[in-house]
Amino acid sequence: MVNLKEICIKQCFSFTFLFRIVMIISIIIAVWRKDWVWVVGTCIGLFISILPSIIKRDVKFTLPWILDFLIAIVTIFHMGGRLFDYYYTIENYQIITRFFISILVAFIGLSMIYILDEHWDGLKMDKYAMAFVTVIFTMAVGVFLEFVKWLNVTGTYYVKTNQVLMLNLSADTVAGIIIAIIGVNLIKSGKFDEMTDEFGNEIDKIIIDRFEKRGKKRN
Amino acid sequence: MNKSSLHIGGIILSYILKIIMIIFLIISIWKLHWVWIFGCTLAIIVSLVPTILKRNHQITLPPVLEILVTFTLILHIGGGLLGAYGIPNYDTLTHFISSFLVAFLAFVIIYILDEYWDGLMMDKYAMAFVVIFTTIAMGVVWEFNEWITDIIFGTTEQWGYTDTIKDLFIDTLAGIVMAIIGVTMIKRGSFEEMTEEFGEQLDKRIIKSKKD
Repeated sequence: MVNLKEICIKQCFSFTFLFRIVMIISIIIAVWRKDWVWVVGTCIGLFISILPSIIKRDVKFTLPWILDFLIAIVTIFHMGGRLFDYYYTIENYQIITRFFISILVAFIGLSMIYILDEHWDGLKMDKYAMAFVTVIFTMAVGVFLEFVKWLNVTGTYYVKTNQVLMLNLSADTVAGIIIAIIGVNLIKSGKFDEMTDEFGNEIDKIIIDRFEKRGKKRN
Repeated sequence: MNKSSLHIGGIILSYILKIIMIIFLIISIWKLHWVWIFGCTLAIIVSLVPTILKRNHQITLPPVLEILVTFTLILHIGGGLLGAYGIPNYDTLTHFISSFLVAFLAFVIIYILDEYWDGLMMDKYAMAFVVIFTTIAMGVVWEFNEWITDIIFGTTEQWGYTDTIKDLFIDTLAGIVMAIIGVTMIKRGSFEEMTEEFGEQLDKRIIKSKKD
């Protein structure tokens, strides 16, 4: 069982590695097409996807491998959509991308809540309450993403129709519910704790402890 | 202003709002607006729920909640019956008040769960965040309701992309306003005063904590 788990983890890491290679190829294609906006976009994407590894190397910080994996897959989807116009040529490509973004957001949300529950004195929460907060967090972040699109801060063209907006919000909700269900099962089996243990301890040392000490000093 | 005078003020305001609703019912009967006769009757029943709960089940809702519920219903019925939705930004105002009601309800529930349920212990600022998220999420659920209604019945509940975004923005704003008010009230201790009776009743009937 342990061997199987190790193989799975190795496989997933190699998947992440593969995705990074695809992203480097994307940068080369973007340069070749002289699509400079997307050269910058793909570089940012690559940077985000390798960020966990950079952090890990410099600060002895370990992100859960699934987070690493999800960041890579989301960036690939997004860059594919922009670079090869899959957003416009493949039906529902945008919804699929949005779904994976929301899966990532929901996972980050659940991890944050779980870590705060484990390490912060200001939060103690039942696992089902965590699941509920994960769903509403994902929906709320989805709404913020829609605000950013509406304000058009990045100057990028987006399809702005009510139908697309509602489908995006549906994708957020479904992703939130899926992660909430998976998360509760993982918490019950103790696997979520294993997954976030190291990362949680680092967060506790770097952020939570400092805030708690500062709060105690003020009091 | 002391607590008892505030309480009396709340009761008077609640009665005034109910009288306005009865006036609306009379107007809708006078005009033979069947939709609004039904709407007003339903709204009067809903606004009487707190009184029924108190008399028959000894559950006392916070007076602010009762006033907010009645006020929201009046704004909605007044908008439809008297054509007030034609007034610029009236729709925005009703949406804001409805979202504020949702946010207030969310804050009350979270606060009571934090006080009485063993499964939740939350810092006041964390509560504020959860209230904002809940209000936004409920706004999204409401938009789903309108969207699906339009698809199934061919109605025009949703007026388009910009209007939906505006509604979601108002939900967010109402959540933030309630979060700020809630945190301030918790700091002063007035939120506990306001929800104490209701919390104890809920605890006795539903939560059943081991708290003395």
